Amino acid sequence: MSVIEVKNLCKTFRVKKKEKGLKGSFKSLWQPNYKKVEAVQNISFEVEKGEMIAFIGPNGAGKSTTIKMLTGILYPDSGSVSILGLDPKKDRKKLAYEIGTVFGQKEQLWTHLTPYDNFKFFGAIYDIPEKAVEKKIEELGTLFELEQFINTPVRNLSLGERIRCEIVASLIHNPKILFLDEPTIGLDPVVKENIRALIKRMNKEYKTTVFLTSHDVGDIEKLCKRVVIVNHGKLVLDDSMENLKYHYLNKKIVEAKMKEKVNLEGEDGISILKDKGYNLKIEVDTKKKTVADALKLLNPDNIVDINISNMPLEDIISTIYQGEDK
Amino acid sequence: MLTAVKNQGKVTLLNIKYALMREMLNKTTFITNIVFMILNNASFIIQWIILYSIKDSVGGYTFKEVMLLWGIAAGTYGVSHFFFEKAYFLSDTITEGKLDVFLVQPKNVLLSAITSDVKTSALGDMLYGLIMCLVANLTLLQLFLFLFFCIMGGIILTSFAVILGSLSFWIQKADMVAETGNGLMTNFATYPDGIFKGAVKVLLFTIVPVGMVNYIPIKLLVSFRLDLFLGIILFMILGIIIAYFIFYRGLKRYSSSNLMNARI
Repeated sequence: MSVIEVKNLCKTFRVKKKEKGLKGSFKSLWQPNYKKVEAVQNISFEVEKGEMIAFIGPNGAGKSTTIKMLTGILYPDSGSVSILGLDPKKDRKKLAYEIGTVFGQKEQLWTHLTPYDNFKFFGAIYDIPEKAVEKKIEELGTLFELEQFINTPVRNLSLGERIRCEIVASLIHNPKILFLDEPTIGLDPVVKENIRALIKRMNKEYKTTVFLTSHDVGDIEKLCKRVVIVNHGKLVLDDSMENLKYHYLNKKIVEAKMKEKVNLEGEDGISILKDKGYNLKIEVDTKKKTVADALKLLNPDNIVDINISNMPLEDIISTIYQGEDK
Repeated sequence: MLTAVKNQGKVTLLNIKYALMREMLNKTTFITNIVFMILNNASFIIQWIILYSIKDSVGGYTFKEVMLLWGIAAGTYGVSHFFFEKAYFLSDTITEGKLDVFLVQPKNVLLSAITSDVKTSALGDMLYGLIMCLVANLTLLQLFLFLFFCIMGGIILTSFAVILGSLSFWIQKADMVAETGNGLMTNFATYPDGIFKGAVKVLLFTIVPVGMVNYIPIKLLVSFRLDLFLGIILFMILGIIIAYFIFYRGLKRYSSSNLMNARI
């Protein structure tokens, strides 16, 4: 059952164009010039109940604009959005009871209040009776391990602790869908890992559908089974993580420590990524050359140590972005 | 419907309560802000004392009526800036994309946005209004009327600020227009309306409604008239409807922003 249905969604912004300098400012005062920026162009996709989907793209690709149209913050120019059968444009309040949002760059919590008081406030916003809120705070507090700092003012918490509290605040009303816009931005690797584990646990426990945007490949790889990529406002790819890796895994990274130096320059299907004398890092295009052939060129007797790995997801995504740009 | 209104009221009061708690984090700043605002307002009375030692009436107002005018001006300003301070920053809220937080909540966006902050010094204005009211030696009925006019005027001022702030949905840098407009309301509020003539007077009872907030209430406190009383109530309701309509019309043009910000 689809909980998110997006059809031919479009959004255009009008941006003022100005020539440089004071002269340009005067000119634009009397003869303003505008250009149209097509932030989202004809995007369509569906998300099933309980799915964890990564909605990714480079900066300015239209991710945030799309997520804002799905949550009722922005009005689309054309196309249709249905979230749990509701139109965010017409049923903003009804929809707000059903969804939770976490914007990594925008804080929703009052910083002078404790997380506990903030959660009670959010309980009031969602018209939840006192007793039910207290029970929910206890439940989520345990799940997200907030016990240590639930009564410390938010302004005294670390960024990781704050983000955990932001997620809990957005879950206080049992939303069916959670929109996470760059939830791990600015966090250190350990805290990121911790947040991912908690989101995963939440998805398992409550069957909450998760719609995630992130620039962090770790978030995408560890949380989502499906990836939707947008670039220049258009949908570029909508596929499972498995397929994405499979189709783009025609390149292998070979890192070798050699006894003697080897010159592979000009070899078809091989790109040298790093050559530090006896340490070599090459990329093998398996469509042109098999890994076995590449190893023959290196001469197995000449190899002290070797590591063959797939192309990192980060590079796969960059390749897709760059391919689109060309 | 009734439950929804009750819940909205509860959240609005919580918003104001938490914003006040934030202001009270530092005792010295909190108290100083209030006391200095009372002293600031009181300093202006000195020029009127000097003026009334020369003349018996200025613009048709006695000294007691000028004191009441200051009381109403401070009281309405205090009510508006204490309970709805963010109405005066609506332009920034719109252009910096700070409405996002309120748009994803199942509550009235406008009310949530404008009640999300309080101005401590506005408490000083409200107290000053009450002091003026006591100095003017009002009857109990006049006192009730005075309080009613302060609340009503505060709501009109807020509606005016919302209308001006909402222009940011259409115009860039509309914060300057809003600032000038709101400044005009404050500047005209403490002078007797008798000194204004012709077009300026028409302006003060229409586009810049100082007359509805300050002058008519003074007239009603001196001599009550039901038609005028109902007239300004109607004006307040009309102001709320226009502010609400313009804000929600503009909200369809809201373009948010990706600026990083925190609720501090």
